Amino acid sequence: MPQLTDLYRTACLLLRDRHEAEDLIQDTYLEAWKSFHRFETGTNCRAWLFKIMFHRLHHVRRRLVKTSRVVTIDDPDGQVELAAEPVVPQEIRDEDVLNALAKVAVEFRDIVLLADVEEFSYKEIAETLRIPLGTVMSRLSRGRKLLRQELAEVARSYGIDPRPKQAGAAETA
Amino acid sequence: MNTLSFDSKRCERIRLQLDSYLSNELLVETATEIVRHLESCEACSRDLESRMRVRDALQRAVAKQPVPDSVRAGVLRKLRESQPRSLLSTTGRRWAVGLAAIAFLLFSLFAGEWLSLRRSEQLIASILRLGVSDHLICAIKGHNYPEVANPPDQIRNKLGVRYAVLLQVVQERLPGFEVLEGHVCSIPGSDRKYVHFITRGQGTILSVILTERNGASLPKGKFLASAESAGLSIYEDHLSGMEIAGFESAQYFAFVVSELSQKRVLQLAGALAPALNETLQTTAFQGLNSYVLDALFKLRQEIPTSQRGEIIQALSACKGRVGGTDGAATRLGISRTTLIYRMRRLESTPNCIPE
Repeated sequence: MPQLTDLYRTACLLLRDRHEAEDLIQDTYLEAWKSFHRFETGTNCRAWLFKIMFHRLHHVRRRLVKTSRVVTIDDPDGQVELAAEPVVPQEIRDEDVLNALAKVAVEFRDIVLLADVEEFSYKEIAETLRIPLGTVMSRLSRGRKLLRQELAEVARSYGIDPRPKQAGAAETA
Repeated sequence: MNTLSFDSKRCERIRLQLDSYLSNELLVETATEIVRHLESCEACSRDLESRMRVRDALQRAVAKQPVPDSVRAGVLRKLRESQPRSLLSTTGRRWAVGLAAIAFLLFSLFAGEWLSLRRSEQLIASILRLGVSDHLICAIKGHNYPEVANPPDQIRNKLGVRYAVLLQVVQERLPGFEVLEGHVCSIPGSDRKYVHFITRGQGTILSVILTERNGASLPKGKFLASAESAGLSIYEDHLSGMEIAGFESAQYFAFVVSELSQKRVLQLAGALAPALNETLQTTAFQGLNSYVLDALFKLRQEIPTSQRGEIIQALSACKGRVGGTDGAATRLGISRTTLIYRMRRLESTPNCIPE
């Protein structure tokens, strides 16, 4: 079945629940099958399937939100500072990066997954999520940064202090 | 001091674009500018490197996520479950058909048994006629096959995911015959679909034709008790100078049609029947609606096997030319700059085709 593994993996990360993800995938393929006549031959089928999935996801999340609140992380700093660039550990373990991703708010997580894992273009992401291109760019940048911050946090919690390296770099400069 | 602040301003500007650079979304000029800056600025290139590290780690971690088989099964189940709606609408019709059949049965009891016999014979005769004419039109007159056998992958593609598995069976069970072509065809004016394999061997063309039974049966009188193969009765007939040997599977009729002698055709059908019957009865054939499978198969065909392959193919076809009216970009239907990005992403440069 086309794209099943990619869709399922993304769904798992988006919903953090394997059963919900499975349901979502089933609904996605059902919807794809029903509206197959609307698929334009020659266009990107992968993007089309993801678009359907995110459309379904919207409904699923609305249902889930009733039971648990989605918390948006607010960045009080606003502007990005050069010095505040989080330092990511050299070795990143799988569970660390997945845990870090889970901590990133959904609207950013969606974009990071679509851009970095599924490698869709900005235009495709904008169409999939039905948001403007500029929003894709800002959210991706924000999402990646949040992910880096979470990973830096993980490194600190392990007692690896990445700062000395930065200090060393500053000295040489 | 001045230089330093200028540099940090510049770094700031570059870093704002690093995300787009990482996603290959920048114009060539801007990307070149960034590359130039990264070459001279260690801090920025370290920043880019850490971004790439996170991205790669994420890709790797996601790719390692297990995908249980139940997911696929679940999707298929769901698709199948969605069928009842269309089945329900036909249930009404089935009732009508059922009532009509009962009425017909009662009528035929009075009107004489021969009438029903005639009817089923007519249906079979029409199927046979269509099957034979399919062989005649498609294989003999239309010469709808290549002199050199089509590659198996191409035949499988033509057959679609549902019937592709049959190719191997036909190939294995008809030794001395080469499968030239396989496809699904129908005859103008008929809804009936035929799965048609055209084979060549023993100095002639031989067709293996399958078609759905839709509840019909072959007339009992023409089964040859002597030509039974592994419990399957072989049916024998001849039409328009062709010998036909057939059998019925749970849902399909299968025929071998050829100009060979009756004995030989029966022999070949006998060799083919058990394996073909077994394949036709597997779950893949019973469980799924052919429409779903076909739709999904079409879906899969829309996806290029790999972007890389597509680009390389276009580049080779255009002798490495990227831009211009006869360039690879035009061929792929994307802009010249987009193609250059993608090539860069695939580590190939203009006029240099990898492998």
